[in-house]
This record gives sequence, C-alpha cells and structure tokens, in this order.
Amino acid sequence: MKFTVIAFVALLPLAAQEIKFPPGLDRLAEKAVEVVDVTMDASLLQLAGRFLSDKDPDEGKVKRLVTGLKGVYVKSYEFEKRGEYQQSDVDQIRSQLRAPGWSRVVGVRSRKDGDNAEVFLKSEAGQITGLAIIVADPMELTIVNIVGSIRPDEIRDLGGHFGIPKIDVEIRKGAKEKEDE
Amino acid sequence: MKAILLGCALCLTTAQAADREFNDVVRVISDEFHTRPIHIPFFGLVNAFTAAVRPAGAKHIDVAVFESLGPSSRDLPQAIRSAVGSRWSPLVHVQSYRKGHEETVFVYMRQQGQDWKLLVAAIERDQATVVQLMLNPSTLARWLSAPDESARRWNRDWDD
Repeated sequence: MKFTVIAFVALLPLAAQEIKFPPGLDRLAEKAVEVVDVTMDASLLQLAGRFLSDKDPDEGKVKRLVTGLKGVYVKSYEFEKRGEYQQSDVDQIRSQLRAPGWSRVVGVRSRKDGDNAEVFLKSEAGQITGLAIIVADPMELTIVNIVGSIRPDEIRDLGGHFGIPKIDVEIRKGAKEKEDE
Repeated sequence: MKAILLGCALCLTTAQAADREFNDVVRVISDEFHTRPIHIPFFGLVNAFTAAVRPAGAKHIDVAVFESLGPSSRDLPQAIRSAVGSRWSPLVHVQSYRKGHEETVFVYMRQQGQDWKLLVAAIERDQATVVQLMLNPSTLARWLSAPDESARRWNRDWDD
C-alpha cells in the first residue's frame, strides 16, 4: 500500500468534486478476500475535526486539514491471487479523471512488482478542486477520493486517518511518470 | 442515592428504546441463520451502569448477540444495507473472507440532538453482534479519525 512519489505543487486551496465509483467495483467485492469501504461526508469530517486535539502534533495537523475537507471516500479491495481484477475495472475511474480539469500529476509503475500508483488533481480557474489516488497492485486495489480544501503536500498527513491508507507522497508540479525496473 | 440513580437510569433505558433499524438488522440476521439472539441476563443493569458511568463515552447501548452460527450467504451484506435504510449514514464497511478470519462489519451513524448514534453490525464465522450506541461527540470523533481501524478493533474487543 505504501508508495512514494515525488512532486511539489503550488499551495492552492481546494474545492473539489466527488468522482463516481462505478457499479463494477461492487462486483470486485465478490472476488476480494477483504473489502474496506469508508464514506465520510463534510458534516462527519467537521465533527471529527472539532474534537481532535491541538496539543497532539499529529492530531493538530489533521485538525487543520479537516477544516477544508468536504468528503473522504475510500474503497479498498485485497485479493488472494493476481488477476482477480482487470484494468478495465479501474479504467471506469480513470476515464472520469481524464475529464477536463483533471490532470495526472504522479504515476509510479513498477514492472517488477506490477505496482501502479497514480495521483490526480482537478483544477478549475487556476485552483485545484479535487484529488484522487489510485493504487493498483496485482493483489490490491485502493481508490481514494478526497473532496475539499487540501494542499497536495498534506496528503501524507492524512494517511492513517479517515480510512486513507498510509502514503508517502510529495507532489511536484508537472512531475513525469516514474518507472521502476 | 444509588437506588434513585438506578431508577433514573432504568427509566432512561426504557425511554431510549432501540431504533427500528436495530430491530430490522437483528431480524435480517435471525432470518439468515434461522436463530434468535441469546438472552443476556441483567442487561438492564448494563444500561443503568452505562447511563451513570458512561464508559468510553457511551450513554446508552442496545445489544443483540447471536452464537453458534453457520456460514452466511454472500447476500447478507446487501440485506443488512437494505434493513438499515437511508435514515442512517454509512460510515464504514469492512468485509473479510480470509479463511479463519471471516468477518463483516458495518458501521452506520445518525445524529440525535447533540449526540450521535452508532449502529454496528459485526458478523463472524460463528457469532454475530448488533449494537446500537449513543455516543458523546468526543468519543465519536475518535471513531471518525480512524473508522476502519475502529470497526476492526470493535470486533476484536467484543470477542475478548
């Protein structure tokens, strides 16, 4: 689940739009050995933020991040063996992320392990308005959609909270695809 | 004083009956496994204690426990979703088919005044629990901070 990508993006406020999880993903749940589905809308996030402690450095960071969030949606599928899901299952998500405004800022692909991690940002009128992460490993598929105001370099701080997997992300504007052998 | 406190707590318990959805989820599980929840002796006292002491921020608790269950069908998660309906917001769903660690955990939420209700349905290989809790906001915030972990921990703690 853990992946590292390098990028730096200008710090822009976000106001985002939720991507739609296609019904095909529900069929993956029938093949998966483990499924995690987290849905947190704005009211729950704000509630959570209100009671996180300013004194705890980690909680303090998350508390500040949460104030600008409108939704966090996570779907994660773990499979027992390779090949249980097809790229076409993920393409229904990717096609939404090819719509105007969305751009892929990070792509990490390992030929050796078959790991594939992508980060997409949506921007409108010069402002980033959405963020999506797709981690497609041979035996695991995780899709994260964060809606709301967040600086892309803060994604790492959200890892481990609100069902978002722990990720190590730094985002550089215009970062090119990275390929591991 | 204790008697008054207990009396008040029991009144509170009576006033806060389980929601319809709690009963509906219990019925779905009963129908699935053709069994009834086990009787928990003195459960009224648990709620009296809960109302007075508020362990882990819980003000009120309703519990149904099923034991000695057989395998469930893969349709059960959808049946639970349908039973809960739209009055509750889905927070987290964890489904594991790992051999020996099969589990399904649903967590739903609903606001009631200043407090929040949590509806948890956890089904394992041979037992299931349905719990409705009323939590104060600070306890709820801890749940929200790591909902997937909280759901799994809940199931483990309940087993212990």
